[in-house]
Amino acid sequence: MARNAVILAGGQCKWGVREAHLVDLFQEAAKACLNDIPTLKPKDIDGLIVATSYAGRCSFQVNTAPVIAERVGVKPTSICTRCDTLCAGGSTGIILAMGLVQAGAADIVMVAGGEKLYTPQKWEVFYSELASVDHDWDGVHGMGLPPPFFALTAQEHMMHYGSTKEQLAAVSVANYNYAATNPVAQMQKALTLEEAMSAPVVVPPLTLYDCCPITDGAAVCIITTDEIAKKFTDRPLVYIRGTAQVCLNSVSANFPGAHLADWKHTRIAGEKAYANAKVGPGDIKVAQTHDCFSISEVIEVEELGFCKKGEGGEFCGSKQIELGGKVPVNTDGGLLACGHPFGATGIRQGIEIMKQLQGRARHQVKGADIGLTHNLSGANAEHTVLIYGREPVK
Amino acid sequence: MAVLGIPILENLYPSTMDMWPLEAKEFNRNWQFYENLKQGRFTTTKCKDCGLVSYPPRVICPECYSENLEYVDLPNKGKIIVFSEEVKGVPLGFESPLIHAVIDLGVDPARRVLSRIVNCPAGVLKRGDEVQLAVFPVPALPIDKGKLGTVMSERVFFAFEPVKK
Repeated sequence: MARNAVILAGGQCKWGVREAHLVDLFQEAAKACLNDIPTLKPKDIDGLIVATSYAGRCSFQVNTAPVIAERVGVKPTSICTRCDTLCAGGSTGIILAMGLVQAGAADIVMVAGGEKLYTPQKWEVFYSELASVDHDWDGVHGMGLPPPFFALTAQEHMMHYGSTKEQLAAVSVANYNYAATNPVAQMQKALTLEEAMSAPVVVPPLTLYDCCPITDGAAVCIITTDEIAKKFTDRPLVYIRGTAQVCLNSVSANFPGAHLADWKHTRIAGEKAYANAKVGPGDIKVAQTHDCFSISEVIEVEELGFCKKGEGGEFCGSKQIELGGKVPVNTDGGLLACGHPFGATGIRQGIEIMKQLQGRARHQVKGADIGLTHNLSGANAEHTVLIYGREPVK
Repeated sequence: MAVLGIPILENLYPSTMDMWPLEAKEFNRNWQFYENLKQGRFTTTKCKDCGLVSYPPRVICPECYSENLEYVDLPNKGKIIVFSEEVKGVPLGFESPLIHAVIDLGVDPARRVLSRIVNCPAGVLKRGDEVQLAVFPVPALPIDKGKLGTVMSERVFFAFEPVKK
């Protein structure tokens, strides 16, 4: 009989500028996760996948999985490893855990992602960001911190499709307002369109609220099979129906689209994940797309098929991403307002979709039965899509 | 000079904190790219078996996996497709304005090369402007040669700059 993978529970620590060590953040998040499923104990967990990218640089720690296993009281017997796909690390961990539990190689896997990015000297993380892209060919041009790259992307979207700064600001407003009541978000403040439009310039046309902050934080979730999950919970089960992870280039000169606002790799990832999940874009009731920048969400809603190519600005600017809209997006605040500790983000997204599909989200989408998460990594070099549902793929 | 907080690193070179590529022959099989830069040539590798030109340079052809590669010249001049200017908050190692551009060098696979634009003040660049290769020295790489001591390996890197009209 086929084994179906589900996301059983999840939790995260408070994200932001944290007075804590990397391993502290993971412990807080593991506790928050098990608080979400009090019947599950650390001894029940047989696998651990840790997603972190900057542990090596910012915490002088590689081979992170055993370090985290010990701190969170888990003694893995099926898998104990780390994955690094930067901004998609958490989603990668969930995909790997899914495959392991489906194959019977693991039963209950903890997927834990986190980063400690604020170091004692402020310059260091900005400097170390040169490692986030292809170091010798893009980072070396001062392209480590991504605002310039996404400023170019926004310009090309405006050139080719006529999107406006106000439409970008609408994304920031929606996501900040979703996060205003989220106690673990980095930015917990309501934002008006006027505030977003008059914010300080970062790299034109991007201003302050168009860019996600740098964040310390961790998130943890549990992936298991539906049959095992039923022993621990009466909540509706949330299945991982289909996934895809697409990488067509690393160096920005080899960007796969016709221009920086044409995200071919996102389209391929979406199409493949939809096919695996046996659903289409019209079935998605709620989504978490990778809003590292406001322009990213504008392009993602196009490439994932929520609207036509080129109409993402109009889609976001006309409240289609808000509650009551066509596809509410980033209902917990997204990267823009929750923050973005790289390895933790995909797990945060998965937790929000799990809560939405179980009917217990803070900003609940009525009748949500199919949800999607999406990440991009690096200088827009990799795209990862997961589709969750209340029913398994039949 | 001592490293603040880490006195044992006095006068030591940590390559993990070096923002420039490890270009020397001892550490990089594509060292020829940087040697060509020193001659003012912007080059990459071409597969002599299947003919594919790759950018950046490789040690195997990504198409046919041949190791039979040669360096070929890419154009030194191109046109700006789109650019961004960062004036405030420029990261350590770079000066304001930090200008980035996507440049069309007119040939595959260099139709959308991302580069820094140097020797250019903020507010003067336009889309379509012609730019040319600019090669500049960067700090030499200190290589520990055992009994021979530390040898300094000279390094350069590249950006593009506006063509003077």
